[in-house]
Amino acid sequence: MAGERVDLEAIQTELRERVRRKREAGVYGPEVAAALAHPLPGGGPIAADTEGDPIAALAAAVESEVHYDPRSRKGPAASLITFARRAVIWLIRWYVHEIVARQDRVNAAALRALRMLAERESVDLVARVESLERAAAREVAHEGAAHMDYELFAERFGGLEAQVRAQAAGFLPRFAGAKRVLDIGSGRGTFLALAKERGVGAYGVDLDERLVARCAAAGLEAYRIDAEEHLRSLPDGALDGIFAVHFAEHVLPGRLFEILHECKRVLRPGAYCVMATPNPGTLTVGAHTFWLDPTHRKPLPPEAFRFYLQISGFEPVEVETYNPSEEQLAEDGLTGAALENARLLNRTLYGDRDYAVIGRKPLG
Amino acid sequence: MRSTADEGTCSGSSARDGTLVSPSAIHQFHPVLAAHDATSDHLFAIRDLARSWGHPADAYAIEAKPEVAAEVVPYRRLFRTLGRDDLLLMHFGLGNDAYDRLASLDARLGLVYHNITPPEFFDGLNPHAAHHARKGRAQLRALAKRVPLAIGVSEYNRRELEAAGFARTVTVPILVDWRRYDVAPDPRVLARWRTASTTILFVGRLAPNKRQDQLVRLLGYVRRCVDPEARLLLVGSYRDQPQYHARVRALASELGLGAAVHFAGGVDAAALAAYYAVATAFVSLSEHEGFAMPILEAFRFGVPVVALDAGAVAETAGGAAIVLREKDLAQFGEAVGLLRERGSLREALVAAGRARLADFAHDRVAARLREVLLGTSEVQRASGSVA
Repeated sequence: MAGERVDLEAIQTELRERVRRKREAGVYGPEVAAALAHPLPGGGPIAADTEGDPIAALAAAVESEVHYDPRSRKGPAASLITFARRAVIWLIRWYVHEIVARQDRVNAAALRALRMLAERESVDLVARVESLERAAAREVAHEGAAHMDYELFAERFGGLEAQVRAQAAGFLPRFAGAKRVLDIGSGRGTFLALAKERGVGAYGVDLDERLVARCAAAGLEAYRIDAEEHLRSLPDGALDGIFAVHFAEHVLPGRLFEILHECKRVLRPGAYCVMATPNPGTLTVGAHTFWLDPTHRKPLPPEAFRFYLQISGFEPVEVETYNPSEEQLAEDGLTGAALENARLLNRTLYGDRDYAVIGRKPLG
Repeated sequence: MRSTADEGTCSGSSARDGTLVSPSAIHQFHPVLAAHDATSDHLFAIRDLARSWGHPADAYAIEAKPEVAAEVVPYRRLFRTLGRDDLLLMHFGLGNDAYDRLASLDARLGLVYHNITPPEFFDGLNPHAAHHARKGRAQLRALAKRVPLAIGVSEYNRRELEAAGFARTVTVPILVDWRRYDVAPDPRVLARWRTASTTILFVGRLAPNKRQDQLVRLLGYVRRCVDPEARLLLVGSYRDQPQYHARVRALASELGLGAAVHFAGGVDAAALAAYYAVATAFVSLSEHEGFAMPILEAFRFGVPVVALDAGAVAETAGGAAIVLREKDLAQFGEAVGLLRERGSLREALVAAGRARLADFAHDRVAARLREVLLGTSEVQRASGSVA
């Protein structure tokens, strides 16, 4: 072949670009569009032009006129042939007429039926899909706290800042020396601030815009992005640690499992994944305080959460409970069975209100 | 010249082991043979080639147009003269009862498939053509069981043959006697059309699948957005499609383009050369092509080609034409504009076109045809089982 190959892809791109520019600049008036779509006069459209609209093609076919010219042009016998053809047509006219009349009725009814079906299906189906979409959106809005001031909620029910800070501090040694720790659901930025003070590189993701803005204002690195989406965007082994306090109870178990799978993938070997959640083993939590937050989906028992991490490939996985109940049954002066009963009740009703699962990505 | 009495007379014959024999005669059939017709030209070129190999070779037809009548033998004679070892190549492009009768002959049979226009294109325009196209498709499937060798003139056609059920299918492009284009362009045509205006050329029978109506709309675009003096030359016979011809004419006049569209009809080689000589670009908006010979003619005459990707178009163009996939006339109009203003692109396309012609050089296609027709494994007996 000749040395000069033509770059056809580039030409096609250039042509599309030219057309787009001219269209935007208004070079094509409506008369150009009209000329390009001008129907072929003198009959129905060509088959290829009605490919996308078979009902229109059917209508055109049903309405088209049928012509048959019995006249022959075959030399000297022409008039005889013409006469014979006319005679046959005349003889069978009533027979053919009956068949044609019935076919006309069938065609017209079929066309009406198809049009009706096409209309009805589109109207009904669209209406039904829209109503389902509205219902689903309502469900999400009502179930979640889309209309609630979550920042205010966090102030009132999220615990005292100092207390939360002290709890977060308990987990920091596991991230000592880390350059990139992700705080999922970073909220008010308590952990991020603490990490910064201790020289641990950390950043957060949260869905609440105002909380993210608050972190930014405090000089902390936080992004408004979905945690799962963010994890999926990261390469393998990109993080030195993952920290997620009061996040797991906001997602459904199936999704949590997928997130854990991603967490394991993006952590470097030997790094920790720490996830804390309300402890439903303490009945005042499981039966009462857990439900204060309307965005909580399901309580997560420690044994189950631990199992999730294990099957996601973390090894070992530890469980630590913390944040003891303020109220407890007095055990002073009790002995024997009464003391045992009081202890059992304290454990069951007034135990630690939170727990954390701490999984490590195996080395190598 | 029949039976087995001619052993050793054929050049290129293979070992005679009782099953594979070089044919003593290579005859061909097409229902209608005419001048300036792609199928007829192909048939005559193969005939001349077979004769040059030393085989008796004739062209048979039901109807021969006056210009070629002297070179054509009435097809009924085949029933009396065709021998068991003779090869009959049936060129197929439309249904005809004659194929069924010929397929029952005790001879070696081959089919050269030029493709059948999908009948939908003729619906409402030409019931006669639609009927023959439908019949042709059905007939092709029936012939698949009786004809052992099927040749597609393009890979696109070969795939259709395979889908129709032919056991053995091969691709051999159209054999072109390129010398027939070595003529001086007709001075009358040159004098009339050689001007500075943009000239869009299309060559091909006027037919709804070739979409000359779309070319008229394209001209409307080009005159408004590229060159107000642009013209459209439609070369090709319009006798077979009177209704479509009338409607395309009406479209041109409704769009105010009556004077800018010229229907040249069927033309001779000198006029054809002249039409190519005055063209700014060869534009095809055809939606069904089994080979697209005019694209190669455009390459031969150094005319850049812009074509819609349909059927075998892209395959034949082989990267030497601007082939567009979207049926967006504006893009085609801009392509014509681009060719007008950018000489380097024009030259590059023309050079690529000329280079592409090497793949269709007479000797190269002839060698391939010889391999297919006379090769030891290609032609098998039509009758009886083959070892």
